[in-house]
Amino acid sequence: MKVIATYNLKGGVGKTATAVNLSYLAAAEGARVLVWDLDPQGAASFYFRVKPKVKGGGKSLVRGKRDLDDVVKGTDFEHLDLVPADFSYRNLDLVLEHTKRPTRRLGQLLRPLRKDYDYVFLDCPPSISLASESVFEAADVLLVPLIPTTLSLRALDQLDRFLENADLRKPPRVLGFFSMVDRRKRLHRDVIDNVTAGRRRVLRTRIPSAMDIERMGQRRKPVATFAPRSRSAAAYRDLWSEAKTRF
Amino acid sequence: MYETFDWRFLGADTVLEHRVEADDGALLVWRSITTGEVLGQLPVHEVPRFVWHLPQTPVVERLARVTEMRAIVPLVTLDTRLDSLRLIDDDDKTLARVTLDRSTARGGGPLPAVIDLNPVRGYDAEARALEELLAAQIGLVPDTEDVTIAALRAVGFAPGSYSSKLRLALDPASTALDAWTTVLRALFATMQANESGLRGDVDSEFLHDFRVAVRRTRSVLADAKDIIDPDVRAWARDEFRWIGQVTSPPRDADVFLLALPAFEDALPGERRRDLKAFQAFLEEQQVRAHAELVAALDTERYRSLTGRWRELLDEGFSPAEGSARPEPPDAGAPAVGIAGAHIRKAHRRVIRDGRTINSASHPEELHELRKEAKRLRYLLECFGSLYPPDLVTPVVRELKDLQDVLGAYQDSQVQAEGIEQLGQQMLEKHGAPAAALLAMGGVVEHLDDIGRDARAQFAARFAAFDTKSVRTSVEQLGRPKDGARSGG
Repeated sequence: MKVIATYNLKGGVGKTATAVNLSYLAAAEGARVLVWDLDPQGAASFYFRVKPKVKGGGKSLVRGKRDLDDVVKGTDFEHLDLVPADFSYRNLDLVLEHTKRPTRRLGQLLRPLRKDYDYVFLDCPPSISLASESVFEAADVLLVPLIPTTLSLRALDQLDRFLENADLRKPPRVLGFFSMVDRRKRLHRDVIDNVTAGRRRVLRTRIPSAMDIERMGQRRKPVATFAPRSRSAAAYRDLWSEAKTRF
Repeated sequence: MYETFDWRFLGADTVLEHRVEADDGALLVWRSITTGEVLGQLPVHEVPRFVWHLPQTPVVERLARVTEMRAIVPLVTLDTRLDSLRLIDDDDKTLARVTLDRSTARGGGPLPAVIDLNPVRGYDAEARALEELLAAQIGLVPDTEDVTIAALRAVGFAPGSYSSKLRLALDPASTALDAWTTVLRALFATMQANESGLRGDVDSEFLHDFRVAVRRTRSVLADAKDIIDPDVRAWARDEFRWIGQVTSPPRDADVFLLALPAFEDALPGERRRDLKAFQAFLEEQQVRAHAELVAALDTERYRSLTGRWRELLDEGFSPAEGSARPEPPDAGAPAVGIAGAHIRKAHRRVIRDGRTINSASHPEELHELRKEAKRLRYLLECFGSLYPPDLVTPVVRELKDLQDVLGAYQDSQVQAEGIEQLGQQMLEKHGAPAAALLAMGGVVEHLDDIGRDARAQFAARFAAFDTKSVRTSVEQLGRPKDGARSGG
């Protein structure tokens, strides 16, 4: 089982779209996939049409009253399951603080599912907090969408530094990729050209800023299901193939 | 529907289906027949002979663990009309699926229509409500048989009919000749069942199972003195030895090819590709050896062997009419006693020779011991059903462990030698690349390690077999007082 977290300090950079589209592609290849919607806004749950409610709330999960297994919901796609978001995740940090070894809790919850899933996607809220430390501890890979601006690259450096200093048993591999890319914008082109020259941990595939991805909100489906021949669907397919070679 | 020849998918209560849709979509679907749950599915247009030829994904790895080295072959084709309905909520989220499945088996006629109710994980209550509704409103009753099983039956397959294991239930009251004949008949049936797949080289296991049946036949014949007419026995032993010989070269090539992935794993990453030349050479050899085997099976000698053997098995090895020859002395004796005596004798030999082996013994001595252990194993497998399982099973278990270590030792030696010879041949014939020869040298080193490990384990494994409890079990086999299941 590989645990992949889509993560960025900033919101609105395409984290959830990445988790939803890549998990769909992985399942379509025959892998057994679980998406865990950790974002209290519940966007991933919304895209998969699953009501954002965990019985007893996220608290009962974290405190160990309820197995993750009990709250898993099947999506409309074969082998693609979801742990829905719950609004009480907003208090996740508070709850985690009151558990023993809070940063290991997420990993512990996932452990019993090791045999059931090939990939787990964690769709994370945008922050650095106890909850995100727990994600860093549980994840094998952090997939970080980056809008091609100087600031977002600095955020990637900050994340690197944070991971170096954090007390993690096995830090996740950080893989950045450019998201919401608009080739018409000069800044985007410049930043991308600079990075392609220097950085190894930024994937080659770029996800364009495209209407199809925005339409996911209306269609409530992965892009590949309603616009399979579109540029964005092709970009997600490329991203998945490239990312897999780096796990 | 696809299966391995020895029913590995159904053996695990699963089926593998290739679903080709009218709009040209095609999926390979692996599902449970007890729960209907889809265990894995992936888009596949043409089903390859071996699942490991599919793109490497987790589901393919799981499928390969089921099939191992076996090919998958199409068994039955259904023409199906599927009508699907979804139970949805106010967000248009699927909570359960209902499909009406109307299928016709090609060559087997229409099958009963089936309504499938597939719950979606986490929405069990909704699925249950729907099930109750279907039961109450239309009066449907749950079906216990999967449509696949019905289809197999419709076209005349008996699921699970072949297994590489010898499945015999001998009658403890039978005579030795009857028991020997029954065993030889079962072994001949195994040879026949595998012959077509062997000729077609569908996968390596047809030849493997064919050879095991030949070896068991030879072993049973070797232990048939005073049971089967001496002339018949001498003839049959010669002929089966010949079959054993002609099947050896292709099997040797198969063994190397099957071991290649393990050889590659034993090499450092950058050296692995260097075995490609070796692989190509082996594949060429395998094709040639296989063609020679098929030519041998097409000879008059093989035809008359099988023809006469079948006659003998049908007629039960009785002396020819009007022959003045007496029946061999043990033929009419109770099988339980005779087989027991043979097993005890084989066991005594293993113990006698095994005890003389120490760290200084010549490899040949371990090789001899391996043959004796094999003979004992065949006797236990062929005639074990004459005795209570609690006597036989523990003996087989310890014997198997001993055989494993003897086999690992012997195989590593033979393979290391074989690789050296093949390297020489490659050099002479093709001027093999140095990198390939170096990589092969690396494999030989790895095999030496395995051989050393196995040799180091021998003493402990033999001690576990040479115990009082094993000896006591063996001693009881076929002894009149309590060894036999019924008055032996």
